[in-house]
Amino acid sequence: MTDLMDKFESAIIAGDSDLSADLADEIVCEKTATPDDIFHHLSDAMEAVGSKYETGEYFIPEMLRSAEAVEHAMKVLEPYLFGQERTQSGVIVMGTVKGDIHNIGKNIIVSALRASGYEVQDLGVNVSTEKFINAVKDTNADILMLSAFTTSTKPALLDIIAELKEQGLRDKVKVVSGGASHSLEFAREVGVDAFARDVKSTLAVCRELLA
Amino acid sequence: MTSRERVLAVFAGQTPDTVPIVPVVDGYFAPKVIGRRNDECFIEGGCIAAALAAAMEKFGYDGAVVEPGLGPHPSVLGCPVEIEGQDVPVVVDTIIEGPEDLEKIKLPDPWADGKMEPVKQLVEAAGKDHFIIGSVRSPFEYAATVRGLVGFMTDFYKDPDFVHALIEAVAPATQTVGMALVEAGVDALVMKDSFASSSMISPDHYREFAFPAEKSAIGALSGVSGSVPVILHICRNSAPIIGEMAATGAAALELDSLVDLAQAREAAGKGVILKGNIDAMSVIEKGTREDVEAAVKQAIDAAREGGRFILSTGDSVPLDAPGENMAALVEFGRKYGAY
Repeated sequence: MTDLMDKFESAIIAGDSDLSADLADEIVCEKTATPDDIFHHLSDAMEAVGSKYETGEYFIPEMLRSAEAVEHAMKVLEPYLFGQERTQSGVIVMGTVKGDIHNIGKNIIVSALRASGYEVQDLGVNVSTEKFINAVKDTNADILMLSAFTTSTKPALLDIIAELKEQGLRDKVKVVSGGASHSLEFAREVGVDAFARDVKSTLAVCRELLA
Repeated sequence: MTSRERVLAVFAGQTPDTVPIVPVVDGYFAPKVIGRRNDECFIEGGCIAAALAAAMEKFGYDGAVVEPGLGPHPSVLGCPVEIEGQDVPVVVDTIIEGPEDLEKIKLPDPWADGKMEPVKQLVEAAGKDHFIIGSVRSPFEYAATVRGLVGFMTDFYKDPDFVHALIEAVAPATQTVGMALVEAGVDALVMKDSFASSSMISPDHYREFAFPAEKSAIGALSGVSGSVPVILHICRNSAPIIGEMAATGAAALELDSLVDLAQAREAAGKGVILKGNIDAMSVIEKGTREDVEAAVKQAIDAAREGGRFILSTGDSVPLDAPGENMAALVEFGRKYGAY
């Protein structure tokens, strides 16, 4: 099993969608891996991809290639994983805020989160406050993750936080914002619970918030 | 020298009186100078021309960047665009999923529906004494827009032949819009190719997909009668590809703050003009007066030799940039830029 899971991890990192799906099929056939095992290896794979991006070995197309490999693997794994017990899970509503159309980082993070076992509702880009709030209510989300690439999105972020408070939801959902221009100072100014700038920090923040 | 003469001197290979200053001020920052909303200025052609002219007048820099309007039915090559309530026009839907969709691409007619009015009005209002740059997208950027950036960059590995075919299909748009801008009287073109940055794609993918399209487009635009110089803009980190950027035939390279200008000069050679590279966000939007001075002095010291330099921001001046910092950019540009 360990050899199989290592190969599976490597296939995801290499962005080989066909091999990832084939190995996912083997994992399902063997029926010995628990959901936690599978999500642990998927999560490690996406963290490794994130590290390669940080060191300049991978760029956006390579990250998207690995994200697609995750999607291919998940299609095979989902029936096997559905209904089985897991120690890590959570519901995350995610989107890029109003006025911002950047979606590459968001899409990669969505794949990484799904790979780690979270149920993610991706609302897309240029998302209104109303749409975010409705999704939080409909899904009973544990985390609202706001992708905001530029600092000009501050009014949109503040509006979301204000509306969550107005509707009595602020204490019921953790709010995480992220994007290349984010900083601790920016996160404090807008009043989120945490911020993240890349795959690795996003996964770490989610683990911490839902521990 | 007038502002226009100053910049023209640099493009003519002469040394101007002082380093020209042409920050990337476009429809993002300029509208608030005349108290208008961004979306209003993208809808009304006269508004953006007035805003750009007013910004040049207020802050005293030497030139402005203008792009054609979007007309009453805003779209980019057939992709619908939303303007109302937005800070910048937003492409709300992409039209290309695969090779079978290439026929859906609608090549632009820049002269229809008054789309060239912003350009013509700015040239008329400010073009006598100021340097007007017309903005056009590269074929690579057009291709990414109609395909959607995620799908486009996923295709690099899944279907590279389709990427090449898509770039080739949209290339005429760059030529058409570029030529219209020249006809409208701009002094130079800036070809925007931001998705080709090494902050986004590897130098190998740049060489495979973006570089050939840039070289072909710049060659075509430079080869027409009455052509103007072409500036190639690639923001964020373009350090690994400076040599190739210079090899496109561009007259000038517009570089962002992540690039070391001295190293860029070495990689690009002495013949090409460098334009940049003050950090629009960290320095102009968020920085202090002292930060602006330090950045301006560093840029000028690194790149002024031989007169082949235009002081600029590396990318668009943000919406919320304080006017004081724009004034400081010009103040210190003049202070340190005299030849």
